[in-house]
Amino acid sequence: MKTMGRTDLPAAQQQALRSAIGWEWFTIGYTLVTIVLIAFVVGGSQAMKTAWIEDMLSLIPQISFLIALLFIRRPPTRAFPFGHHRVMGVGHLVAGVALLAVGGDLAYEAISGLLRAEHPSIGTVYVFGQTIWLGWFMVAVMSVIVIGPFFYGHAKAKLAPKLHNKVLYADADMAKADWTSTVASIVGVLGVGVGLWWLDGAAALFISVGIVWDGWRNSRAAIRDLIDQRARTEDDARPHPLIARIADRVEEFAWVRETAVRMRDMGQVFHVEVFVVPVDVDVRLEQIEDARDAVTQLDWKVQDVVVIPTASLPDEAEPAKRQPSASGA
Amino acid sequence: MLALALALCVAGCGLTVPSDPQGTLDRVRGGELRAGASASGELVTIDGSKVGGSLARLVEDFADSVDAKVTWSEGSEEDLVDGLEAGELDLAIGGMTEATPWSDRVAVTRAYDAVPGARGPVVLLVPLGENAWQAALEGYLDRKLAR
Repeated sequence: MKTMGRTDLPAAQQQALRSAIGWEWFTIGYTLVTIVLIAFVVGGSQAMKTAWIEDMLSLIPQISFLIALLFIRRPPTRAFPFGHHRVMGVGHLVAGVALLAVGGDLAYEAISGLLRAEHPSIGTVYVFGQTIWLGWFMVAVMSVIVIGPFFYGHAKAKLAPKLHNKVLYADADMAKADWTSTVASIVGVLGVGVGLWWLDGAAALFISVGIVWDGWRNSRAAIRDLIDQRARTEDDARPHPLIARIADRVEEFAWVRETAVRMRDMGQVFHVEVFVVPVDVDVRLEQIEDARDAVTQLDWKVQDVVVIPTASLPDEAEPAKRQPSASGA
Repeated sequence: MLALALALCVAGCGLTVPSDPQGTLDRVRGGELRAGASASGELVTIDGSKVGGSLARLVEDFADSVDAKVTWSEGSEEDLVDGLEAGELDLAIGGMTEATPWSDRVAVTRAYDAVPGARGPVVLLVPLGENAWQAALEGYLDRKLAR
């Protein structure tokens, strides 16, 4: 994939995207194997059931990432003049809402099981002429599958900033925290093993609260981007530094008195509006075009740029830092 | 680990088991097994106060294996499930299968298809969460009905 809507991807991003697609398919394969493995041992443990459903839910971000990629590569058209980038945000929202709803349901189940003092039953299995407690198989399966998310979680966490992809970032973030759920389910099962029946429900509650928290964070982040909050970094930690860089860059032009920038995150790429108060009332077309070019040179993510000469700057746009510039450009 | 070690090796067969929050297995061993019966074909027959049938005999053999004597009580399936939930019964039989609708309220053993006279795999009901007890029962049935 060399383009993303109207954006040409630089070589490093093409490479990162290919790598991300590979990791997503690997994750789907790995998760399907873990879902089947857990299905054999899920038994009467609420913690195991919760961890199992969490595994199923964890497929949603990967699937929505891969589906969204099919759409966002399409160039903008008259009917979709901004391209299809927002499909990624919609996928992000779907994943978040699914986590929120199912996590809430699982938390409710865990709490009501604890309140009713429901003692979890874990039976036995008959293998090779031996009757063995199913709990040992649960612990064995969970101990094996705990490893995977470390690898793909860290791999995706490295790719997400390169692609400025929030779905990928959230996916990686959840994978990196996945071991806590797996360990919690092991603790729950061993608790049942030694007769501490409530540890199972407590572990289930711990896991489901984690799911709800992920759902809340993802839904909130997705909604904020969909309603055009100021563009932020892929981890939503701070306003994206490109906003300030663009404003500063345009203000370097001699014909510009002051600038302010409004930038929204379309999902991977930005849509940039640069408001410019010119020194003189006469603004020439090539000056505007030069400013536009200068902005698009700054980063691959800012290809959709409009430069608007205006009498005064709108308050809500981010002004340049007003450093007196040495170069006239 | 101590509780686990205590619950190890019920019948000297090297079988590893968990433990019972209510201590059912420890209480039954060398004492009384309170079993509930609901009539079902050849599996469970009730003649006056005498409970018989192939499934009932299996339960009595299991009780022997833990040096316990069976005290039978008879009732509908729902009576038996209520008894298990209330801690008045340790086990219930009645030719139930894996499709039993009671699985939310009581623990259901694995299904055994080699029970004499059974038309299909049958399960036994035990109280929820008494995992050492359930493991002891399932282990006994596995050996008794070994394929």
